[in-house]
Order: sequence, then structure tokens, then C-alpha cells
Amino acid sequence: MTGQLRAISELDRVIHEPGRLMIVALLAAVKECDFVYLLHETEMNKGNLSSHLARLEEAGYVEIEKTYRGKVPQTLLRLTRAGRVAFDQYRKGLKAAF
Amino acid sequence: MKNRIRESIEELSKNVQRAIREGRTDELLQTLKEQEQNRKKKLGKFQKLQMAVWRPMLHEGMDGAAELAWATMFLGFALGAYTVVLLKPFLWRWLALLPIVCGVFGPCYVRKAIKEHITWPRTGYVAYGPNRQSRWMPAATVCLGSVVIGGGLVCLMLVARRHGAISLLGIGTLAVYAATYAFWIFFMGREHSWKWGVLVFMTIGLLVIGLPVGGDYFKVWRQVALFVGLVWLGSGAATLYLYLRHTQPPAQGAE
Repeated sequence: MTGQLRAISELDRVIHEPGRLMIVALLAAVKECDFVYLLHETEMNKGNLSSHLARLEEAGYVEIEKTYRGKVPQTLLRLTRAGRVAFDQYRKGLKAAF
Repeated sequence: MKNRIRESIEELSKNVQRAIREGRTDELLQTLKEQEQNRKKKLGKFQKLQMAVWRPMLHEGMDGAAELAWATMFLGFALGAYTVVLLKPFLWRWLALLPIVCGVFGPCYVRKAIKEHITWPRTGYVAYGPNRQSRWMPAATVCLGSVVIGGGLVCLMLVARRHGAISLLGIGTLAVYAATYAFWIFFMGREHSWKWGVLVFMTIGLLVIGLPVGGDYFKVWRQVALFVGLVWLGSGAATLYLYLRHTQPPAQGAE
């Protein structure tokens, strides 16, 4: 197996899925954001976004905090340290592959 | 590594020769074209990923809050300066302090009010903060920018003193406004390409104001502050209008 092919096979499958990749890429550039922001930017529906976030939370890449802004419920999302490391490695892997 | 490259080139060359001998050149060209298209497609995916990382910065400039905040600052200072001139013979010149205070403290409140009441309920809340990428890059960029701008102004000052050409310093000072705005548009206002037109208009306007007085910036700073404030007020208001027009009002009970 060539180095390029190995780099592709070693890509993190949790992040590699296009929907989750969008979420992680957006979260990597900010300190935190809320559910509405991701909904608006990714143009997914609430159900899809929730399921992707649950998968990322299960992998330990995303931290989800339920809070309130005034009287309105707000779901804050941030990438964990493990998530940032995984995304960095994914980017390096992708760069090496192509 | 070199051997591997040589081997693959030799193999490719053999395949090409065989294909030519067997009269399969069209097939070969088609395969090469497909391979190139696949490579471009994969590279495009990587570039899109890089762009996605920059995207949250555009969210900061999409509602015109930053421009309206700057406009508040410049208009506050300009109004304060004009109040001093207009009320010179009167005792209540201290009234000029009011717009100046608004100019100092207004920007934070204007930005916060727009974000809290308009942007966050419509397109979501984003906090920019320390992470490995965003901590060092902006700090380094700001430091480098400050050194370049400060160094440039000092050089202009030295040249201006030596040759008695005061206009150079004035033009340099005015160029800082245009350069700052250009930098901001590039990183945060790229979604609105018409802002480059506003930048050109602002630069021409600054030159028109600055050049006739021989570049003595301190003589014209009231006009400059008023002009820059009005330009940013117009640009910010237009951006906010477009933002309101193209986004949906928040649904009840949205998270």
C-alpha cells in the first residue's frame, strides 16, 4: 500500500462523514457557538444536526451545554481538546493524501 | 522516493507507448483526463475544508455591527470637535464632551445591542476565543500590522521633516484608515463584494479632503472623522438591511 493510500485509510471516520466534517470545521474556528448557528451554517435539519452532534459527543470530540439566554433555552457547543487534536490530525492526513 | 518516481514515470511511458502501438490513444487520454478530474475533485474538497475553517469570521461581519460601531466612534469624535468650534464663545462648551464620551463608549454597546437583539436570535451565537489556531495568528497579525503601520508612519515623518514635505505624513495617516478597512473587508466582509467599492470611494474621499490642505492632517481631522464616520454608517446600515432581508426572524422557542 502506498503512503497516499495509507493516509486515506487512516482518516478518522467519525470526522470524515461530510455532515460531521462541516460541524467540526466550523467548531474548530471558534471558542463556542450555539445550535442555531450550526443549523444556519450547515443548512441541515434539526434532527440530522442533533444526531451528528450526538455521535461527536459520544466520540468525545464535542462538548454540549444546555443553558439559557434570558428566558430562551440555548444549546452551547464547543470542540473538546481531543476534538481539536483529532481535527488537526484529520487535516494533516487529508493534506498528505492529496 | 526518487526510485519510486522514476519507476512510475517509466511505467507510464511504457503504457503510453503500448497504447499508441495498439491504437488506443483516445482511451488512454480519456483515462488520464478522468484521473486529473478526480485529483482536482479531491483537492477541491480539501480547499473547501480550509474555507470552512475561515467561515465563522465572515459571520462577524455579515450584520454590519462592526461598521456601525466604528461609525459611532468617528461620528462621536467629529460631533464633539464641531461642538467645540460652534460653541466657542459660550460657556457651555463642555457639552462637547457628550458626543466624545459616546464615541469612546458607544462602539461596544452598539455592537453588543445588534448582536444580542438581531444577530444571535436569527443566525446564532458565536464566541471567538482562544484555541491553538486563533490565539497566535490574530495576535501575530496585529503585532505585524502595528509594526508595519507604525514603522511606515515614522519613516514618513522622518522623510517629511528632512524634505519639508508635510503632505507625506498626512497621506500616510489617511492611508491607515483605508488599509484597516481593506484588511477588515478581506477577512470579515468578503461576502459583500460591493464593500470594495465603498473602500475605493472612501480612499478617494480621504484624498480629496487631505490633499488641498497640504496634508496637514490635524487641520482636517474633523472633516476626516465626519467623512469616515458617515461612510461606515452608510455601509453598516446597508449591510444590516441586507442581513435583515436575507435572514428569517427567529422561531418561537428556538434553541
